Amino acid sequence: MRKTRLGMYSLAVGAFALAITGCGGKKEEATETAPAATATPGKTVDSATAGEVTGSVKLEGTAPKMKAINMAAEPACTKARTTPAASEEVVTGEGGSLANVVVYIKSGLEDYSFPAPTAAVQIVQQGCQYHAHVVAMQVGQNVDVVNNDQTTHNIHPIPTENREWNESQPPGSAPIEKSFARPEVAIPVKCNVHPWMKAYMAVLPNPYFQVTGTDGKFDLKNLPPGTYTVVAWHELYKTDPQTITIGAKETKNVTFTFKASAAAGD
Amino acid sequence: MPELPPDDPITTRPMAGLVLISAFILMLTVAWSLYDEFYGLRPWRKYQGEFSSAYSSYLDKQYKQRKGDEQKFYATPEYQKLLADVKAATDAARSADREIGQKIDLLDRQRAAMTDAFTNSRGLVGSLTYQLEQIDEKDKSSKASKLKDLNEAKAQTYDVAWPVEGGKIEAQHFNYERLNGLFVSIMTSKAKLVAQRGEIDQPAKDAQDKLNAYVKEQLPGLASKDLFSLGQSMKGLDVHIRQINVNPTGASLNNLGGAGLVDRCQSCHLGTDPLLVPVTMTLTNADLGLGKSKDAPFTSHPDPDMMKSHPLEKFGCSPCHGGNGRALDTVVKGHGRYEHWLWPLNYPENYNAGCQQCHASDMVTEHAPVLNRAKQLFREKGCIGCHRFQGFDNQDEEMVSARQAIAQLENQKQEDRLQIAQLNKKGDTASDNDAANRYYAEATNLTVTMSGMDAKIEQLDRRTHNLLQEIKKVGPDLKEVRMKIHKEWVPYWLKHTHEFRPTTKMPQFRLQDDEIQAIAAYVWQSAIPGPALPKQSPGNAAHGKELFEMRGCEACHSIGEGANLVGGNFAANLSRVGEKDNYDYLVRWVLNPRTRTRPYSPFEHKDLGPEDYAKHDLPFVFDLEHSRSPNDGHELVVEQMTVMPSLRLTLEDARDIASFLVTQKHSDASYEAADFMDDPKLKAHGKELIQHYGCAGCHEISGMEDEGRVGTELTNEGSKPIERLDFALLTEDAKLGVLPDGKKSPRGAWYDLKGYFENKLTDPAVYDRGKYKPDPMDRLRMPKPNVTKEDIDALTTFLLGSTDPTLPAEYMYKPADQRAAIQKGWWVATKYNCIGCHQIGIGQRSVLMGLPQFQGENKQNLPPVLTSEGARVSPEWLKAFLANPSLSTTDMNRNGVRSYLQVRMPTFFLSDDEIRALVSFFGAMSSQPQPYIPRKIEPITTAEKEMARDLFTSSAAPCLKCHATGDSGHDKNAIAPNFLFAKERLQPGWTARWLTNPALIAPGTAMPSGLFKRDGDHWVFSGPLPASFKGYKGDQADLLVRYMFQLTPEEQRALMGRTPSGGGAAK
Repeated sequence: MRKTRLGMYSLAVGAFALAITGCGGKKEEATETAPAATATPGKTVDSATAGEVTGSVKLEGTAPKMKAINMAAEPACTKARTTPAASEEVVTGEGGSLANVVVYIKSGLEDYSFPAPTAAVQIVQQGCQYHAHVVAMQVGQNVDVVNNDQTTHNIHPIPTENREWNESQPPGSAPIEKSFARPEVAIPVKCNVHPWMKAYMAVLPNPYFQVTGTDGKFDLKNLPPGTYTVVAWHELYKTDPQTITIGAKETKNVTFTFKASAAAGD
Repeated sequence: MPELPPDDPITTRPMAGLVLISAFILMLTVAWSLYDEFYGLRPWRKYQGEFSSAYSSYLDKQYKQRKGDEQKFYATPEYQKLLADVKAATDAARSADREIGQKIDLLDRQRAAMTDAFTNSRGLVGSLTYQLEQIDEKDKSSKASKLKDLNEAKAQTYDVAWPVEGGKIEAQHFNYERLNGLFVSIMTSKAKLVAQRGEIDQPAKDAQDKLNAYVKEQLPGLASKDLFSLGQSMKGLDVHIRQINVNPTGASLNNLGGAGLVDRCQSCHLGTDPLLVPVTMTLTNADLGLGKSKDAPFTSHPDPDMMKSHPLEKFGCSPCHGGNGRALDTVVKGHGRYEHWLWPLNYPENYNAGCQQCHASDMVTEHAPVLNRAKQLFREKGCIGCHRFQGFDNQDEEMVSARQAIAQLENQKQEDRLQIAQLNKKGDTASDNDAANRYYAEATNLTVTMSGMDAKIEQLDRRTHNLLQEIKKVGPDLKEVRMKIHKEWVPYWLKHTHEFRPTTKMPQFRLQDDEIQAIAAYVWQSAIPGPALPKQSPGNAAHGKELFEMRGCEACHSIGEGANLVGGNFAANLSRVGEKDNYDYLVRWVLNPRTRTRPYSPFEHKDLGPEDYAKHDLPFVFDLEHSRSPNDGHELVVEQMTVMPSLRLTLEDARDIASFLVTQKHSDASYEAADFMDDPKLKAHGKELIQHYGCAGCHEISGMEDEGRVGTELTNEGSKPIERLDFALLTEDAKLGVLPDGKKSPRGAWYDLKGYFENKLTDPAVYDRGKYKPDPMDRLRMPKPNVTKEDIDALTTFLLGSTDPTLPAEYMYKPADQRAAIQKGWWVATKYNCIGCHQIGIGQRSVLMGLPQFQGENKQNLPPVLTSEGARVSPEWLKAFLANPSLSTTDMNRNGVRSYLQVRMPTFFLSDDEIRALVSFFGAMSSQPQPYIPRKIEPITTAEKEMARDLFTSSAAPCLKCHATGDSGHDKNAIAPNFLFAKERLQPGWTARWLTNPALIAPGTAMPSGLFKRDGDHWVFSGPLPASFKGYKGDQADLLVRYMFQLTPEEQRALMGRTPSGGGAAK
C-alpha cells in the first residue's frame, strides 16, 4: 500500500518537473523561409547552332484599289509631295505579294532574354503620310518620330496594353523619342490634325520580326533550334499562325496567305 | 507493561495519503496555472514569440539586401558625380564663407562688448529727455538746468574693450552718439553679410538638395540603418499586452474616452502596430516565411491609405471590424464569435459592414467597394420599393413634411394677421404716443416677418413641384399597360419572370395560377383606356440598330442573351422586347419616354382626361410648364415616373429604333390566350393581392397610388436581436451548422444575423420550410430577388452594417463642407446613371468605355470625361446645359457642345433641385468655391489681337483644323468644340491648363500635348512663331485664352478667311 503511494508521489514529481521544463523550454518554430521566386536567368542564343525562317506573304484574290487622299485642305502637305497620295491599307507587289505585314515569333522563346537594341527605329512624317506605314520595334527599343513637313502634326498612338500619349510636333522641331514597355501588335497611330494619317507600331518581345516590303519576303535569322508559333499580322486581313520546328542550322520556308475577300466590311 | 497510548492519530490514522493527493493536486494546479500563464490563457504570448523571431530574421535579410543595394548605389557614377558636385560647391564657397563668418563673428563680439555701455547711456539719455519734456515751458530755469544735464549725459564717455580684427582688443571711449551710430552700423552690416553668405552658400545647398532628391528617388524605402535598429529592437521584443485606448481624448464614455473602447487586437496582430512595422512598409505572411501557415496573424494592414484617414488611436480596430477588442483568452473570444457577443468579427466577404455605421448617409464611400455596390443594388433592384431605409429616395416622405410645413406657415400667418390687427388697435387707443409707437412698431415687425414666411412658402411650393418630378418608380407604369403590352404576355411574365429576362430587376414572386390570373385581370382592367395613340408607319430597322448602338442606348440597356449580351444593366435587357411591346407605344416611348397619356392628380386621386380640361375650356395639354390641375390648381404628375431621358430624336429616328426593337424576339415565341383578364369577377381579388404583395412599391398602378411600403424598415436591421429573427423550423439546423440544402455550412453554426440574411436573400421562402400554410396569403411574401452570390454578400454586408450606432455622434460622417455636396450629387448622378456614359470619378469606368464600338481609335467617339468638369465650365453655363443639352430651342436633334459626336447627351428633365445638386457636385469634385465669381479677363490689345490671329491661322498651330466653327463644310471633320463656346462655357484658368497639358486632365484625349513649352515663368508656343510675336514678353498660352474668351462670330469668320487652306480639315 505504502509503496504504491510512494510510486504515485514520484510519478507526480516527475510530471511536475517535466511540466516545468516544458514551460521553460523555448518552443522552436520552424521558420524556414521559402526561396525567392525562381527567375531563371534568360538564355542567350548560340549562333553556332542557330537556324533561320524565311518565307513570303501573299494576298489571294484581287487587292482593293486604294482610295486617293485629298490633301487640298493642307497646302503644306500637297506642296511637300510629288505624287498624289493614296491610302496605304493594302499595298501589294508583283504576284500578289503583300507589304506592311508584321511577321513575328509569338511563342517558343520564353526562356531567352533579349535586351533591347540601342539603335532607334524611325518613323517619318513626310508629305503628310507616315513612312513607313507599319514599323516594328522591340520592347524598350526607342522609336524616333520625325516631322519633315512644314505643318504641325500630332502623334497619337492608341494602345490597349501600353501607355497612351499624344504629342504635337511643330515643323522643325526635334524628333520625339519614345519607347513602349509591353509587347503589342499593333498599336494604331493617328494624327488628329490630319485625319487620313494612319500608321501602326508593332512592339515585340524578341528581335525575330520583320515588316514585309512590296516583295512580301521575310527572313528571321539567328533563330535557336526549337518549336515556334509564327504569326503574320496585317491591319485589315487575318491569317492563321503557323507552328514550325527548327533544327540546328536548319532553314525553313513558310508562306502566309491572306484572303482579300476576308476583309472585314471595309 | 508499557502503557499503550490511546488512539494516536499519527499512528492510527495516517494522513500521508491525503497529503500526497493534496500535494499532487496542488502541483497539478500550479502546473496548470503556469501552463495557462504561458499558453492556455495567453495565446498572444506564443504569437508574439513567433512574430519576434520571424520578423527579426526578415528584417535581417532586408537589412543585408538593402545594405548591398546602398553600397552599389553609392558606387554609381551618377551618385558619385552628385556627391562630388556637393563637395565642389562647398569647397568653392568655403573660403568666402569662412571670411564672412569671421566678419560676422567680429560684429557679434563688438556688439556684445558695447551692449552694457549702450544700454546705460541710452537709458540715461532717454530718462533725462523725458524729464525735460515734462517741465513746464514757463519754468525756464529748471528747463535750462535739465538741458545742461542732458547734454552732459550725452557727452559722457564710456570705457569699452573694443575687439578689432586680428583678435586684438582696443580700449575705447565712446559717447552716446558714437554708441548709437555703432549699434546701427553693426546691425546693418550684419544683415548684409548674412544675406551675402546665403548667396555664396546657395550652390552648395542646391547641390545637396539635388543629391537628396536623387537618393530619395533611386533608393526609396527604409534606409539600412533604420532596418538595422528595427531588427535589433525586434530581437528583444518585450512580450506584453498591446492595447489601444481608443480616442482617449474624446468626450469621455465609461471613463475610457471618446469611443468607450479598449482594443487589444495588436497583442496578436502585431503587423498592424506602426511602432513595429512602419507605415511605409507592407508585411505579408509570405515575407515572414509563414505563407502557408493558417495561424499567423501578422500581416500589416492591407490598406495603409485608409489607415491615414482612420488613425488607430482614434478608431481602434473593433469599431470597423467587429469582434471583442478586450478579450485575450482565445481567438474565438477575441473575434467575438460566441453567443452573447453582439458584434462578431466580420467575415472577409462582409468587411465593409464596418464602414456603414459611420458612413450610412454616404451614397459612395471610398475604400468600400462592396458597400457601394450594395447601396447601388438596394436602389436599382427596387428593394426600396418595399423596404424603407433612412436616406434612400424618401421624396414621398419629404413631400408630406413639406406640405405640413406649408400648412403650418399658413396657420402662423393667419395668427399673425389677427395679432397685427390687435396691435394696431391697441396703438390707436394707447394712452400716450410712446406706447402707441411701440405697438405700431411691433405690428410692423410682424408684417415683415410674414413677408419672410411668404418667401419660405414659395420655396416649399417649388420644392413640392420638384419632388413630384423627382419621384421615380423602379418598374414601368402599369396604368398604360393596355396601350403598351400584348395582353397574353402579362400572365406569362408573372410566372416566368427570370426565365423570360434573366437580367431583370423584377423579383420572382411565388404565385399560384389563380393569383396570377387575378393580378393580371386587375392590372388590365384598371389600366387607362386612352386617348388612343397615333398609328405609326414602320421605320428602317437597320438604321434603328445603328442608332441604338451609336446614340448610347447601351449605356443603360443591354441587348443580346447569354454570352452575346452587350451593354449596361442599369435598365432592361431588350432582347425579347418585340414579344411584348406594341410598336406605336414604343415609338412614343423612344421619342420621349416621359410622355404620359393622362396626368395624375394626387389631390383628387385620379388620372385626368380630356374631359377634365374641356370642362374648363382648356386644351388637353400637360407638361412641366402646365403642371397644375384645371380642376383645383394642385400640382399634377405630368411625366412618366421613369428615369429614362429623352434623346431628342426625330420622329423618323424614333420609328427606326422602335422598328429595330420590335424585331428583337424569339422566332418561336407563342403565348396562350388570356381571356380571363377581362373577367370582372377577378378584379377585386386581384386588387387585394396587389396590395398584399406591394406591387405599387415599384409600379404605378391605378387605384394604388397611395399604397405604403409593405416590407420591414431596414435602417437598423443589423441591430435586431437574434431572437427577433424568425429562423422558424431551421433554428436547430442553423445552430448545428446545417444549411437549408442539407450541406454543412463551411463556417459552422449560422444562427446569426449573417446566416439569416444570406439564406433569406438566397431563398426568401426558406423560413417557411416545413410549415403547413394552405392559404397563400399566410406565406412569406418576399419575392426572390434576381441577384448573384456576390450581390447577396454585398447586401448582407450592407444589412450587417446597418446598426444603431455604438459610437458617439462625433464619429458619424456627416460632412458640412464640399464633401456634403459630393454625397448629395452622387445620389443624383447614380439615379440617372450619368456614369453609364461619363467618367466622373477618377478611375471610374463608364459602361460605354467597355463597348466594342468605342474601342481603340474609336475612343474619340466617347462622351467627354467629366473628372474636371467643375473646374472646366462655369456653373451658370452648366445649369443651362443640364436643363437643355441641345443649347437650342429650335434645333433639338443635336448635341449642344459636341455636335460631331454620334452619342447623344439626353435631356433628363431634371428638377431645379437636382440641377443644383449636380452643379454643386461637380464644383465640389473640383474644389470650386461657391458662389462662382468668374475671373476677370484682361482686355486684349490691338497688337495682341493681331498676334493671336497670326498664331491661330499659322500652319504651325492647327487649332481650327479640329475645332468646330459652325461652318457645315468645315465641321464635317471637326472633332472638338467651337471656340465661340469658350466665353460662356469655360473657366479661363482651366482653359490655360488644358492648352498647355491636356493629357494631364484627360489622358487619351485627341487634343495633343506639347503645344506650349515653359520658358522661365511663362508659356511659349513650341512651334515657329509668326513674326508679330517678336519681342513679346507675355505668356502666350494666356494670350490665346484671352483671345478665345473675346472671340466673336465675326472674328472667327474672319479667321477662317485668313487660314491659307480655308481652314477645313481634309476630306
